[in-house]
Amino acid sequence: MEKENWIDEVINSTGKIAKAVPDDALFSKIQNRIKKVETVSPEWIWIAAASLLLLASLNVKLVFSKSHKEKSSVERIASYVSTSNQIY
Amino acid sequence: MNNPASNFQNIYNQYYILVYNVALNYLQNIEDAEEITQDVFVQVHHSYYNFNEKSSVKTWIYRITINKCLDLIKHKNSKKRRFVFGKKSQNESEYLNASNFEHPGILLENKEKSAILFDAINQLPENQKTAFILSKIDGLSNPEISEVMQVSVSSVESLIFRSKTNLREKLSQKFEAHRKKK
Repeated sequence: MEKENWIDEVINSTGKIAKAVPDDALFSKIQNRIKKVETVSPEWIWIAAASLLLLASLNVKLVFSKSHKEKSSVERIASYVSTSNQIY
Repeated sequence: MNNPASNFQNIYNQYYILVYNVALNYLQNIEDAEEITQDVFVQVHHSYYNFNEKSSVKTWIYRITINKCLDLIKHKNSKKRRFVFGKKSQNESEYLNASNFEHPGILLENKEKSAILFDAINQLPENQKTAFILSKIDGLSNPEISEVMQVSVSSVESLIFRSKTNLREKLSQKFEAHRKKK
């Protein structure tokens, strides 16, 4: 009986709980965090732009070198066909 | 939505105590509760326009708060496991061993008992803990809890029943230690 009463008392110990109030400065902290997220520093903008430029130039280079390679391999096959497929 | 800034301030004024208290009940740490309150309102600010209003703002904010609390607990537990080699726990009691936590809103005569209760609550499985806190400490109705937890009302009833049974078991073990102390 004593045990059951004690358990009930423990379970009901949060019954008259008052709401805790956070620090007054919390709203300004939140606003600062929102502003920080919203404003991206110019350094990062330049870094992102430079990365994009680099990526684009690498892509262009890759495309050109690939097409050049393909052309040369076609030429090689053509030259082989022309030598081995002689009628006369 | 005429003025987003004043709207955000209204939402903050309406719900900051709710968010802070849910986080405090869940994490039992004042600094972490403040951190979570900040995280919740930053997310509310960013996703308010995408909020589809299928549920009420209150339910939505509750859900964000609980998810953030669970994320923080998981993050802290995984951080701890990186340094301490040990078995992965089934609940968050690893991080929350705050048996001496004293809730600032609890009456002085109940402080000791509520510390024992919070210690026992931390040993409950995640969903039982959520259901118990929302029902018993935050005073939400079962349909409200079912909306927040996105489960049926009968599941909420079952979770609350099981949480109380588990708590009674854990508290009956603590009773012997309590009696010896006396």
